[in-house]
Amino acid sequence: MPEQTRWAFIFLLPWIIGFVIFTAGPMLASLYLSFTDYNVIRAPELVGFDNYEQLMRDRRIPMSLGNTFFYALLHVPLLIIISLALASLLLRVGRAAGVFRTAFYLPNVTPAVAIGTLFLLLLAGGGLLNRMLDAVGINGPNWLTDPTWVKPGIVIMSLWTLGSTVIILFAAMRNVPIELYEAATIDGAGNWKQFRHITLPFISGAIFFTLIVNTIAALQIFSEVFTMFFTSRSGPAQDSALFYTIYLFQKAFQDLDLGYASAMAWVLFVIILVITAFQVWGSRRFVYYAGDDK
Amino acid sequence: MTVSGGVGGAPPPASLSAAAPARAAAAPTTKARTPGWLVKRILYVAALFGATLIFVFPFVWLVSASLKTRQTVFNNELFPFPLHFENYVRIFEVVPLSNWFINSTIISILAATTVTISSALVAFGFAYFRFPGRNILFWLVLASMMLPGAVMMIPNFLIWNALGQVNSPTFAPLWAGNLFGSAFYIFLLRQFFLGLPRELFEAARVDGASYPRMFWSIALPLTRAALIVVFIFELRAAWTDLLRPLIFLRDLTLFTLPQGLQYLVKTYNPQVGGQGEFHLVMAASVLITLPMILVFFLAQRYFIEGIATTGSKG
Amino acid sequence: MITRRSSGLALVAVLALVVTACSTSEGTPAASAPGPDGSAPAASPGGSAPAGSPGAGGADISGDLQVLARYGCEPAPCEPSGEGAADEIAFTRYNLFAEQYPDVTLDFTESDFDAQGFLTSVAAGNPPDVVRMDRAIIGTYVAEGALEPLDQCISGMGIDMSQFRQPAVDAVTVGGSVYGIPEFYDSRIILVNDSVVEDAGLTSADIDTSDWDRLTEVNQQLLQSEGDTPTRIGFDPKLPEFLPLWAKANGVDIVSADGLTSQLDDPAVAEALTFANSLIAAHGSGPAFNDFKTNGPGGVDFFGPENQFAADTLGAMPMEQWYLNVLANNTPDESISFQPFKDRQGNNISFSGGSTWAIPASADNKDAACEFMRVVTLADTWYAAAKVRADLRAADGEAFTGVYTGNTLADERIFGELVTEESARAYFPGVQLVQETADVAFSLPPVPAAEEFQRIWQGAVNAVVNEGADPAQALAQADQEAQDAIDSAQ
Repeated sequence: MPEQTRWAFIFLLPWIIGFVIFTAGPMLASLYLSFTDYNVIRAPELVGFDNYEQLMRDRRIPMSLGNTFFYALLHVPLLIIISLALASLLLRVGRAAGVFRTAFYLPNVTPAVAIGTLFLLLLAGGGLLNRMLDAVGINGPNWLTDPTWVKPGIVIMSLWTLGSTVIILFAAMRNVPIELYEAATIDGAGNWKQFRHITLPFISGAIFFTLIVNTIAALQIFSEVFTMFFTSRSGPAQDSALFYTIYLFQKAFQDLDLGYASAMAWVLFVIILVITAFQVWGSRRFVYYAGDDK
Repeated sequence: MTVSGGVGGAPPPASLSAAAPARAAAAPTTKARTPGWLVKRILYVAALFGATLIFVFPFVWLVSASLKTRQTVFNNELFPFPLHFENYVRIFEVVPLSNWFINSTIISILAATTVTISSALVAFGFAYFRFPGRNILFWLVLASMMLPGAVMMIPNFLIWNALGQVNSPTFAPLWAGNLFGSAFYIFLLRQFFLGLPRELFEAARVDGASYPRMFWSIALPLTRAALIVVFIFELRAAWTDLLRPLIFLRDLTLFTLPQGLQYLVKTYNPQVGGQGEFHLVMAASVLITLPMILVFFLAQRYFIEGIATTGSKG
Repeated sequence: MITRRSSGLALVAVLALVVTACSTSEGTPAASAPGPDGSAPAASPGGSAPAGSPGAGGADISGDLQVLARYGCEPAPCEPSGEGAADEIAFTRYNLFAEQYPDVTLDFTESDFDAQGFLTSVAAGNPPDVVRMDRAIIGTYVAEGALEPLDQCISGMGIDMSQFRQPAVDAVTVGGSVYGIPEFYDSRIILVNDSVVEDAGLTSADIDTSDWDRLTEVNQQLLQSEGDTPTRIGFDPKLPEFLPLWAKANGVDIVSADGLTSQLDDPAVAEALTFANSLIAAHGSGPAFNDFKTNGPGGVDFFGPENQFAADTLGAMPMEQWYLNVLANNTPDESISFQPFKDRQGNNISFSGGSTWAIPASADNKDAACEFMRVVTLADTWYAAAKVRADLRAADGEAFTGVYTGNTLADERIFGELVTEESARAYFPGVQLVQETADVAFSLPPVPAAEEFQRIWQGAVNAVVNEGADPAQALAQADQEAQDAIDSAQ
């Protein structure tokens, strides 16, 4: 074998081993498990497509998927829009941007459990958020117990950590050549037009990246929500906060039905694949790459 | 292993060149100094300030709640007097918080160290060498990033279980996977390695350096900043990870901080059937968050540079 | 010898030991235990102990015994302290066992039973040797083959099952085999906040669950609200947890006696749910009610001195009897009266639950586990623990409301000798009422997919209370899912 190939293999060895043992292996194993009935205590028993059939009849699957999609559809657009707004603001304050940027990122270093706990405090019926709403005359709902408002409450909580997105978009915006803006101003284009026709296309790559990443993450939300709503066996909001990965966790570790949980995991994988493929296809059409960028 | 990103979005890989030359956008104000410029600027600052308040306020609230008593923890006073610092002492008596600190520290440092080294190795392999199947393999690396953790959660558990490492004081399942690199960091570091001029390596080859030598003495030192970024990112990810400890650690004294906090919430949160010592839970939350904030402030530059560079282009 | 996996800080000083006569016979009552500040370690029973103390059945009781429970802490009470789970009631009994079997190394996991934790430990091949779990969920683990049938243990070690209350034993018996040794036994009575009741011009006797129409009126009179938000709860029906009780009051059970058929779709259950929900709905809305109940004044400090009775934010509610103890500790001067829960025919009924000890099928030290279970549930052991608490309360000048065990003999002694009008003070009528209703209490039978079953029916109730779902529909759907879960778990 040529020397370069041999050495490449040596350097790549850790990843190859890891991939086989911890990625490819488990992927295949979980696929296998999804066709079995397995409760950890007894050996797995092949049951064919039973789990998948049950999946289609289980009303909690569409419910949890619906919850997850609803959350993602609320969270991701809001995330991008608000981050764009904040990044635009940062762009216009010169050197002060650094301080604010840091402040925005601060929530990201907080552990998810702490975030969940904190928002239990803030979202309670008489909590801070409602008090602030009261101050402007809005009667805040019961974010933690009212099924209609549980998911919006979770979205609010998850938007608290948009700092990293702001930083990404801000960095991307800074890379836009000023000459373009200056030329546009001379031609009489207003702020909004400039944003639409200069900024957006130029940072469309970053936006797309953010979109894909955050969609995948949003579809797998777990820690904060689990801490807030699922640490006891039942609670008022457990249907409306039942996200897909939480239901998966329950099925695997509380109901001891790991075959079913594996089937659920594969369904999730396929969904993510499809959504990401769709987004990537969309990126070919909408993302503009400046000539020297690739 | 994977970056368990916060909900705000973990910066995953993207096609980009690492040493992205900073644009001439050093002057962020895109308008010339028109009249009214100052007013606008003040407005912007004010708006940002308002936004900052919203982001920082919950922290303030957290600290404030941690200094209250059981009865007052849900009230809406910002500055509770008297300040009950004894909550912080009490929390150590009630749960093995110091154990948890130690556990989290050990795990985070092990995880960060191993992933940095192993990912650098693999990244260098992809960046430097020419070999058949290079692109396909790299696509595989990328693809593996998209896998939902849930799919591999159960078999992973079974693997570690067979190795006898569930609930083990070596914490193996929480960091040993990093011995094999992590797709995200491999991607990131590859970009940085690609940015190094090939002539450097050619010259070293001519001088008779071996590949490992080149890796260790040339590639690594030149990408020090990126390595630090990787280290810190994984440090944060491991410190804040909840799912893996939930699955692999059972004994109270082996818990990590996030897991311990979750246990506290379960035990104490009246809302979920606990016993209402919520002020202690708040104190624990503050204690758990503080180290990361400290690390962040010290290594700010690296955090922000790291995020900015990975995501700056689509 | 006892080891505890607990705080890494100062290790706790050794406990006071209670000397007791040999366990099997109805020996002399145990001597008392030390005061709350943990006196110096009492001398261990001197002399040389044999290599392994023989248990009643002659088996060798020695080695490591891992217990999935909390040992507790000193000084008592400690936080967290689930009633009896981690305080003097707990460790007094554990000490008794340790005393008797010095060759056994006790090791407490210091955690409560957690489904996922237990599962992972079983999967890892090193489960604890003895676990304490809620009787309500034991069905799941029996169905999955995770627990050891105790018939051999019972006959081998000479455990007298007749000393335990029948509902408790039924709750841990599956297919004729016993899988658990009942520990605590909680039942429910109605606690009435006298000041609120009088304020509304009613008396305690007006809180009567046998007449649902009247109860609706009473609830309306007791509650206070501002628009849609309650400011005082009238009668809290305790949904979803108490649905089985309301169903029973209406003459039906939510699951068949053998635990294999869900009866959630029985119209009487829907009727009961509709009624109980109407009590909540009268306060404004389900979510508002729940939010007020958990986060409002009084609710926030449920286990403390600013509880709902002190804050007068509650009229009456059915509650597990251990709450009497919390009240006695925190708000002893609050005037509270007690009423039995009645079915619609006027008979006293109650719902009982509680913990049980069980042995995982793959445990290592089953003999020691069996003996452990036997010793900590004996009448003498219970009495000793109760005495410790009674003395503590007397020393603090607080009321002692007893300890509710699943052991009728223990209860007779505790409530015969230790709980008197003098020691229980204002809570004596309540204590007596609990003792009376303990006998008419029922439990849910063990259900194969117990955890899931509970999640399903509680989910249905929550849907009705919080989302305005139609009770009959929600229950019909729940019945379907529950039956599926039960069937596939067998």
